[in-house]
Amino acid sequence: MRKLLAVLLTLALLGTLMVSFAAAEELEPITLTVFRGDPGDQPYEDNKIYKKIEEEFGVKFEFEFLAGDLDETLGLKLQDLDDLPDLFDGGNSAETLIDAGALVNLLDYVNPEDTPNLWAHIEPQKNRIITKDEVTGEDVMYIIPNYGLGEGEQIVNSVGGPAFFIQKQVLAWAGYPEIHTLDEYFDLIEKFIAENPTNADGTPYIGFDILCEGWRHFCLINPVQHLMGRPNDGEVLVDVTKDDFPTETFINQPYAKAYYKKLNEEFKKGIISQDTFVMSYDQYIAQLSSGIVLGMFDQAWDFGDATNALLTDKKYENTYVALGLVYDEDDVAAEDMPEGWTIEEHYVNGSLPNLDRGFGISVSCKCPERIVAMWERMLDYDWQMLFNWGVEGEDYSVEDGRLTMTAEQYANTQDIEWQRHNKARAFFESSPKRQGYIMEGEFAGQCWEPGNQDEIVFGLMNDYDKDFLSHYGYSKFGDFVNPPIELAPYGEAWQIDKADIQKDYDDYLRIQDEQLPGIIMASDDEFDAKWDTFVNDITPSADIYANFMHEQILKLVAAYYGEE
Amino acid sequence: MTTTNYQNIKVRKHYDVVFPIVNTIILILLMFVTLYPVINTVAYSLNDGTDALKGGISLWPRVFSTQSYQAILSDPAVYQAAWISASKTIIITLLNLFWTSMLAYTLTRKEYVLRKVITTMLVLTMYVNAGLIPNYLLITKVLHLNKSYWVYIIPTMFSCFNMIVLRTYIAGLPEALVESARIDGAGDIRIFWQIIFPLCKPVLATVALFVAVGSWNSWFDTHLYNASKTELHSLQYLLKMKLATTQASANAAKASVDALANSASSKTTPVTIRCAITVISTVPILVVYPFLQKYFVTGMVLGSVKG
Amino acid sequence: MTYDSRGTARYHSPKKKSFFQRLCSQWQLALMSVPIFLYVLLFNYAPMWGWINAFKDYGNRKLVARGITPFNGLDNFKWLFSRPDFFVAIRNTLAMSIINLVFGTVSAVLLAVLLNEVRQKMFKKTVQTVTYLPHFLSMVIVVAMAQNIFASNGPINDLLLGLGIVKQPVFWLGEGKHFWWLVGIINVWKEVGWGTIIYISAMTAIDPALYEAAAIDGAGRFQKILHVTLPGIKSTFVILLIMNIGHLMEAGFEIQYLLGNGLVANYSRTIDIFVLEYGTQNMDFGVATAAGIFKSVVAIILLVGANFISKRLGEETLV
Repeated sequence: MRKLLAVLLTLALLGTLMVSFAAAEELEPITLTVFRGDPGDQPYEDNKIYKKIEEEFGVKFEFEFLAGDLDETLGLKLQDLDDLPDLFDGGNSAETLIDAGALVNLLDYVNPEDTPNLWAHIEPQKNRIITKDEVTGEDVMYIIPNYGLGEGEQIVNSVGGPAFFIQKQVLAWAGYPEIHTLDEYFDLIEKFIAENPTNADGTPYIGFDILCEGWRHFCLINPVQHLMGRPNDGEVLVDVTKDDFPTETFINQPYAKAYYKKLNEEFKKGIISQDTFVMSYDQYIAQLSSGIVLGMFDQAWDFGDATNALLTDKKYENTYVALGLVYDEDDVAAEDMPEGWTIEEHYVNGSLPNLDRGFGISVSCKCPERIVAMWERMLDYDWQMLFNWGVEGEDYSVEDGRLTMTAEQYANTQDIEWQRHNKARAFFESSPKRQGYIMEGEFAGQCWEPGNQDEIVFGLMNDYDKDFLSHYGYSKFGDFVNPPIELAPYGEAWQIDKADIQKDYDDYLRIQDEQLPGIIMASDDEFDAKWDTFVNDITPSADIYANFMHEQILKLVAAYYGEE
Repeated sequence: MTTTNYQNIKVRKHYDVVFPIVNTIILILLMFVTLYPVINTVAYSLNDGTDALKGGISLWPRVFSTQSYQAILSDPAVYQAAWISASKTIIITLLNLFWTSMLAYTLTRKEYVLRKVITTMLVLTMYVNAGLIPNYLLITKVLHLNKSYWVYIIPTMFSCFNMIVLRTYIAGLPEALVESARIDGAGDIRIFWQIIFPLCKPVLATVALFVAVGSWNSWFDTHLYNASKTELHSLQYLLKMKLATTQASANAAKASVDALANSASSKTTPVTIRCAITVISTVPILVVYPFLQKYFVTGMVLGSVKG
Repeated sequence: MTYDSRGTARYHSPKKKSFFQRLCSQWQLALMSVPIFLYVLLFNYAPMWGWINAFKDYGNRKLVARGITPFNGLDNFKWLFSRPDFFVAIRNTLAMSIINLVFGTVSAVLLAVLLNEVRQKMFKKTVQTVTYLPHFLSMVIVVAMAQNIFASNGPINDLLLGLGIVKQPVFWLGEGKHFWWLVGIINVWKEVGWGTIIYISAMTAIDPALYEAAAIDGAGRFQKILHVTLPGIKSTFVILLIMNIGHLMEAGFEIQYLLGNGLVANYSRTIDIFVLEYGTQNMDFGVATAAGIFKSVVAIILLVGANFISKRLGEETLV
């Protein structure tokens, strides 16, 4: 007991010492406290990148990662504005930090003269990034987006976002057809199952999975907007061709009924499994990883683990291609369409700045200038290379003027343990960074991110995929969908903060979660009645939500054009 | 009359023979049912992470691998955290036994004038909860216990539920024990420590188990108050963090979706990490349990004390 | 507060002592209890000022973050009681907690009795250790197993189909009417061994002489269980029952949250989940606190009721 007390006292003393160091003069070494709004691993003491940061900037970091619920954690931290972490990343709820006045206005430090790098970095998107304070009306920028400020042409090597996915073997079996409509998609799956009811092990195939566990319910409730041809606006359909941006919720419209009717038919045919609506995420990943699910609507990042499992087993034919499906002309009657609407497939949107995501500097930070100056310097070529590619010779090499990695080196970059020694992930992920193409210098025209570099995307691609693409005459999987359209002036509508109508929005989602599964499982004579009940129940909250979104979209559009 | 009695006894004898057999069968079946999830968890924890994603493992790993354990145990921080967890568990258990048993004794004394008010106020604490924020502010802004080891100890020195369990047990002890001691001139403090406390071994063992398990398994206190102090992280918090990062790594591509790996590298996955964590945090309890178990399996000979 | 009846009976009795005199004479008892009592007051009652949040508007996260939380009277309570699904949540909570209470108590007592009858010490210890192990599995793991076991093509359905009890697989996880019972079964599976510990430790206090006396009277095993073992744990049983009746408003949320889905939402949504969905998740501490107060009030009513009934029946009381 006494020994323990002694240890504890020593620890406490050490703690006080560290704090007094942190508070010392600016040029002195400092320790910045950092909060990350998502889970993460503490870097090891010997981490080579953090060592370099310490050498050049005299800065050490003390990281805290999210362990519990994000909103709850932020709510508690905000109880004391005098004791906030210096670098504060609010994860997906960073708006809370801004609203609470927890972050400093970075425009006090970022300007064309003092920080040319940072300014040039945000300049192309400054009408989205710099906003007016709701209360004072002054120009504010609390967070420099951590992603989405790419340089050069947009890179679409594959579809990373929402799409209808299908196993490569199904397309190969049918002789590599082009699939563009919902009907073609389900026809193909039905035919495939009719001839191949089970895989080689005798396990029956599942034609189509609908995941709807918790926040992943987008697999159930989002597809209709895409079938109508729009990229991801969350739960509204916006007509961007009109000046007043008409906005409506799509889920309660007649054209949505067509999709759920189709799912209802497929469910009765047994193409969709009976258990799909009671399936947990783990079960879903288990099914995908076993290679028995032929298709689903999802976002690529949502099943990355399953893809990895299939690749590990070398079941390349069971991995997925993203398709951009749209409604056929005869799926939806003309009078059911929004006025003047034409369907044109656009699953991939223009490059979107990840607004309000990344580090802000808290009001209790003693040295905001120093952090901004550090970020400014870090946008230089040498630091960006170090963060993105690592150390030449160790982590990557240059061959004939091209940046490249071996398969092993690239696999390392994905390995969490390796990252803890060799990557400054916890810091860099939330900091301003260069993406897209390197614009000048000896590597101009090559990619900032190794994962986009041709040598890695194509150089490390497996032979099955190469052969698969060659049948279509495509060079990359991104070619299965149309090239990106121009980003709408309001960005993507799912980014809009719904705090003002939160309870109605919750109702709106909840009714979909509770009723759509029943509609898909309904018998023929129940279907119409269930659909009508659904439309009836959801319309009050849907109207409130749609009106709110329309107002917000108009505000964003005005702000975007305001200064041009 | 005689025949009836005889028959009764025969029937009883018959039961006495059959009952142990039936009982044994029931208990073995029950063990089988409850052992399944445990073995299943162990099997998953010893399986290759990526392979385990496919599910369908039952009592034996499909692709044997210790990578989940390696991923957890290779981190030096685990050992510091285990020390923090073990030390706080021991301290809290001792403090709880001390305070809780003493209080429980006083609340069995019918003549104690504060008995009713204290009992009522304590029992109510089990049913009212101020909510997270007021509690948080009390610890951080009033008591300034955050960012210190003491936040593990001071707020958890007492539990009303355990006090009630102890009180019920003590109330069941023969009143004569106390009265004869009082006649001998002993005060309540002496009566409690010398006579009552030693008789409470089985229930003290039970309460010790409850407190120790609760403390050992807690992570929320670290999350709320000590998350920024890596040297004060508890084991459960660290393990919870490991699980969270494994889960997040599948979604890491969310931000830079194009970077989704074309090269597959075998990794730990949430499915196996979760199971390995369960095993790692349960084993110490399994090791300690027999020491406590002997107190409440053996039973106690009260008769002699009463004598 | 009850005073010694002998002391208060006589007006001029020299025995009559004031409250403080009595307290002084009981200084040893006070020393053993008052410090920890003050501690409980600080840690459990001081934060109760937080209940004031139930009467404030926390509805808009943006305003809350700016520190704008005006008093709104009883609006939070009114909002709760204007929601039909709040009443559904109360129904679900009570249904599941009653099922849990009955299943949990009966199974734990039963197992404790069976274990108590085992003479073979090694076997007894083994059974005990094995059965309490599932308590340490996280709910996530247990629910994941249950989802596989109760799936349409899972072992339970295979068994029922194989035995010809059903013709179609039962949709255990997708039909509301099964949900409460599934929760009950899973909870028993996970907690039966753990719940036994407290009864087994209570059984150790039973005087072995009672068993001997019963044996001399010619009692068989069943009579011994009925007349010695069960009465021996009755006070523990009654006290736990009263405590648990007070907890009927707590059916938990983890298992329902993990096992539930859109199809069974009307049966799986407990008060805690309701609060999570509408309160905590949106940082609406007003609604969350109001629901908390409601739960506390009901809990106290139930507790006082159970305590009163127990007292009238001449049984053990909690307070």
